[in-house]
Amino acid sequence: MAEARAATSGFARERRTIASAWVALLLLMLASLGSAYLRLGPGNMVAGLVIAGIKGAIVAWLFMRLRQAGALIRLAAVAGLGAWCLLLALSGVDYATRTLTPTPVQRPQQLLPAQAASEPR
Amino acid sequence: MTAATLTDAPTEPGLDPDTGKLGMWVFLASEVLFFGGLFVAYLYGRTHFPAGWAEGSRHTDVLLGTVNTAVLLTSSAAVALAVACEEDARQRRWTARLLALTAALGVAFLVLKGLEWHAEWREHLVPGPAFALHVAGAQQFFALYFVMTGLHGVHMICGIAALGVLARGRSRERAWARARQLEAAALYWHFVDVVWIFLYPLLYLVDRHG
Repeated sequence: MAEARAATSGFARERRTIASAWVALLLLMLASLGSAYLRLGPGNMVAGLVIAGIKGAIVAWLFMRLRQAGALIRLAAVAGLGAWCLLLALSGVDYATRTLTPTPVQRPQQLLPAQAASEPR
Repeated sequence: MTAATLTDAPTEPGLDPDTGKLGMWVFLASEVLFFGGLFVAYLYGRTHFPAGWAEGSRHTDVLLGTVNTAVLLTSSAAVALAVACEEDARQRRWTARLLALTAALGVAFLVLKGLEWHAEWREHLVPGPAFALHVAGAQQFFALYFVMTGLHGVHMICGIAALGVLARGRSRERAWARARQLEAAALYWHFVDVVWIFLYPLLYLVDRHG
């Protein structure tokens, strides 16, 4: 009897958590939409990504149950993200510093379409 | 999980209950890198062709994108509730229905996405000789837009199929449609949701005030 009551209250708590997380996610989605119509300069991208990060964290922590998970599962969860951050930084060494000047192996006629597209009409 | 729900949940002898979850998390880590390359390409394009990216994003359908985001967030809540129901013997009758609801919301997402793609095709926003926008980078934006949303759509189809099969199996009390399998499938669905959570501001909300 006591076990059954504990199970029911456990389910009720879980249901409340899911409902609260769902409402929070929808509100954050609207905040993200609203922020896009404000003139914030680079802040628009930052706001969009920060809100997306919070939404992702809510899904991972509450819906995917990382809050209840053991260390091994938490480690597996952050491993992909950590590896991606590392690869992003390494890719940035090239892409963030690359100018749009053509390489010596590209012939002028090969570059004409790209140059034509980049000129404002 | 409480002690009471642990005794309720069907288990397989000799198998750590976390094995399925751990396997799915490792798979999802590889998926992060799979989508990660596209996000790096996006970042390169957005920083090198800001005008083209803004022009491209303004031509996406922000209303449909927002509705689809709400649909996907709701589907994630539904599948989380399905897992919670499965763990409580008195709520198990809801599990199959919630899984079916999640799959149905996934289908609704794909239908809306299909309508969006159709409109973009008619507006000549598919990269090619007849591309409608003449700002440098706009074509690259739409190339990435179709690749990223297309790849996400393929993941959605896999998730819908898995949840649909599990809903049917759960409603018939099949042994292969138990809490462990449901939890792994739910993790996959949540991951697909998280990918969209990031795609939404990156594809639909660039320079909307411009």
